[in-house]
Amino acid sequence: MGRSGKSHKKIKSIAKKELAELMHEKTFILSVLIQLFIATFSTFLVIGLTSFYDPTAIGDMEMQGTKIAVVGTEDNELYHLLQESKLNTVLYSDLTLAYTDFYERRADAIIVTASGPPGGEDILNVEIYLPKSEIKATLISMQIKEPLEKFEQQVRDIRTQRLQGYSPVDINIINRGVKTSSTYFEFIYVALLPLLVFTPAFISGGLIIDFITEEYERKTMELLLASPASLLDIISGKVLLATAIVPLQSFTWMLLLELNWISIGNFVQILVVVTLIGLMLVLLSSTIALTFKDRGVSQLLYSMILIFLFMVSYLFTNSPLNLVTRLSIESIGSLESGTWIMIYAIAAVALYILMRAKVNQNTITFKR
Amino acid sequence: MPGWYTIAKWEFFRSRLKFDVRSSALLIFSLILVIIASFAAAQTDMSMNQRIYSVSTTEPGIEYILESDQRFDSRTVSVYEASNFYQYGNDLAIIGNNAYLGETRKAASAGSALENTVKEYRELVLTSYDDVNNSHPVWVTVHDIERPQNIQLLSAEETAGQLEAGSREMENDQDTGEASEYNREEMTPESIRPGSSFTPPENADELDKYKGKAFFERQKISTPTHFSPPIPFTAILYAFLFIFPIYFVSQFYSTSIMDERTNRKGELMLAAPLLGRDIVIGKTIPYLLITVLIQAAITLYIMGIPSGKEGLQDILLILASIFPVVLLFFALSFFGAILSRSFKELTFASVFLSVIISGYLFFPAMFTNIHAISSISPVTLIVRLIEGESILFETYMFSTFPFYFVALSAFAFGTFIFREEDLFTQKTITEKIVDSFEIFLSHRYGSVFLLSIVFIPFVYMCQLMLIVMLFNLPAPYSVIAMIGLSALAEELVKSAGIYTIYKRKLADPSLKNAARFAILSGAGFFVGEKAVAVLTLAPIASSAFGSVMTMGTLLLIPLILHISTTMISSLGMYRLGTGRYLITVLLATIIHSAYNMFILRVILFG
Repeated sequence: MGRSGKSHKKIKSIAKKELAELMHEKTFILSVLIQLFIATFSTFLVIGLTSFYDPTAIGDMEMQGTKIAVVGTEDNELYHLLQESKLNTVLYSDLTLAYTDFYERRADAIIVTASGPPGGEDILNVEIYLPKSEIKATLISMQIKEPLEKFEQQVRDIRTQRLQGYSPVDINIINRGVKTSSTYFEFIYVALLPLLVFTPAFISGGLIIDFITEEYERKTMELLLASPASLLDIISGKVLLATAIVPLQSFTWMLLLELNWISIGNFVQILVVVTLIGLMLVLLSSTIALTFKDRGVSQLLYSMILIFLFMVSYLFTNSPLNLVTRLSIESIGSLESGTWIMIYAIAAVALYILMRAKVNQNTITFKR
Repeated sequence: MPGWYTIAKWEFFRSRLKFDVRSSALLIFSLILVIIASFAAAQTDMSMNQRIYSVSTTEPGIEYILESDQRFDSRTVSVYEASNFYQYGNDLAIIGNNAYLGETRKAASAGSALENTVKEYRELVLTSYDDVNNSHPVWVTVHDIERPQNIQLLSAEETAGQLEAGSREMENDQDTGEASEYNREEMTPESIRPGSSFTPPENADELDKYKGKAFFERQKISTPTHFSPPIPFTAILYAFLFIFPIYFVSQFYSTSIMDERTNRKGELMLAAPLLGRDIVIGKTIPYLLITVLIQAAITLYIMGIPSGKEGLQDILLILASIFPVVLLFFALSFFGAILSRSFKELTFASVFLSVIISGYLFFPAMFTNIHAISSISPVTLIVRLIEGESILFETYMFSTFPFYFVALSAFAFGTFIFREEDLFTQKTITEKIVDSFEIFLSHRYGSVFLLSIVFIPFVYMCQLMLIVMLFNLPAPYSVIAMIGLSALAEELVKSAGIYTIYKRKLADPSLKNAARFAILSGAGFFVGEKAVAVLTLAPIASSAFGSVMTMGTLLLIPLILHISTTMISSLGMYRLGTGRYLITVLLATIIHSAYNMFILRVILFG
């Protein structure tokens, strides 16, 4: 027991040494800061872009400057629907006139309505002319989508009666004031948040490979082993540090998101999950690094395994990324999340045993 | 046999030796695992959104639809339980034909998701009928038409457009006035009339084909349900395929360079009768070759085997667009590997550089087909080529010229310090950079005049990066921030050479010399800036951002400005010593920004 107490101290001193080295290199601090800086900007940009993709986020304000030329007749259904959706439309009888105004920038899009009756047999084709490479084209596309769909629904209401045995599924969704689109919501909680909080874990896995292979390539491992610290102490110290910096960075990310008014539930559980996954990746990488002792090969293998794990997490519910998503929006019960945290903890223990076996193997080789 | 060839051959065999049987076997095994897992993942929705919304429903019939979407976690319950759904922590309840939502944002999002799922289910059922005229009666055909633009770039229209007044607008109006007369002749409504271009699908099978079209190109024909605005997210995902292997290979490349440095392994090579240049070229060529081969394979995978001359040309153009990106990645990894003192530093340097370059590559590309600013990035060119569009030579130059130039100069400066005293010592990063400047300046033709010219593309890329990052700040602030930061970048590079001269005592410190170097450096920067403006800036020169970079038509005043601000830092360093370098640069920046703001006062303050 006394031995383990001592080894505790040694592990701590190795971790301290690594931390001191890491902090001594100002580039580390700088790169973390700059990463944060760039990521904030990209977050802003991407959030801006998603909200841009989402018609409900635009509102009526920005559409005031745009005018849509509709070619057709007064009693056209589509024209009525376009008018109803508060779009600034002008009716033309002829495409030539509409095009002149489009060209002179008095109109920003032309919609040529279909001529056939809704109850007819022919396909109704709506021609839309949009200005190429102009931001207005995107805005208009989003705004006219809803009236077009309504028009399609109207025509379908008549025509699908001719289809044998078709009964439409109809669900009225009763809104309670809050309006948001699932694209935006899911982008933030399904893509952005999990990727941000797991990035430090991915980086730490790569970092430990550097920690270990560097000692071998610089031949300083022999010097370290000459000290009272055993190989296990040395590796454990490095693992400890690489894992400890994961929750710190993830915490910063989550704080940053909170500052952007993105509320995150189950803060502590998410940090636990991230730390566990970080630990698993770090243990895995140290096993790889101990096996190959070469930076290039180890990093490549680690990246491959990372991609593999990433792909696998698409396949099942409560994969680490999915678990973080479900925790952050409180879509998971505490029993289910607790079970899965236990499963990941057991996996981490298994990886630790694997790493220890590798360390023992290395120690024996060294003594020979 | 040239020296670099020997090194290249050696490098190639050595890197192969590193992979012994065990590591190769493991790598191949993991590659197979990755392929299997990717294949399995591709069968799913490719989204980790499993069971994020909880729904209680009284209708077993609806449950069938909900199960088709992995996002829903649904249960069939009694009417009583369903009407108290929020007490059970559910987001929405379906009772009869109505869906009731909770009050949270998540519930609202669940409602929107439900709407889409029902819509998709409806499409699925309707497509199973082989009667397009009745199941999909409405079709939309989209035509994108070019029309003359008042102001060339929309950023000007958005950010500073309303504020822009007076002479600039008049000038632009005249320009486009002439152009429109010319275009008018060619583009008449008749020429854009659809004619027989619309061919509705014959049967339901073809529907899938139309849906798939939106994947790569802006869809031309679709039903209203599948009609979507032009945001090429998927094409960008494909562009990721190109960039990804570059990360890997450049990792290996920088490790190999670093390897030479640890434990002075490379000393033998330096002792050999070879030029530093030969060693650098020799060590780079194998990696460059491998990357280009990978890129060619990816291009063939995306574009398919070319059938004719056209197809081959597109593939070559894609490779030509990706090549400068590869070059830049390698150049910066090379420079990073020379500067860093340990593997840890190298990892951080490469992560940091990858983030920056990726940002530079991908953010503008998101605006492909939406905004002219997207042509900053070569990825936009690739996206356009994948979509089957053609690109102009000017556009190619505009987006790739800075990549080529920055890459080549990074290689050059790295090669300068590819010598014993920089490779095998623990010099600080600044020391090493100053070393490389010193070698440049000590060369027969090296001078601060040339150094300033060499720096132009770096500044230019910096400023383009700033445009990307400041793009979403509100109007006047973005331009002000842009002015300040680009002035800082310009002042930094103009004075870097002079700093080196003082620091390394390359010339006698005298008032005359201080003034002489300031004039040379300022004039050099001015000449380079104008050259770049003529070469590449035309596409965005008329935007407000562009005018910050080139500063208009008056020639004499900018020249005097560049010289006088450099004079400030030069004289400042002469009087106060090189220790106060940053303070003098800051002072010069403030004066530079003040002048720029005065010139742009019309745009800024109306």
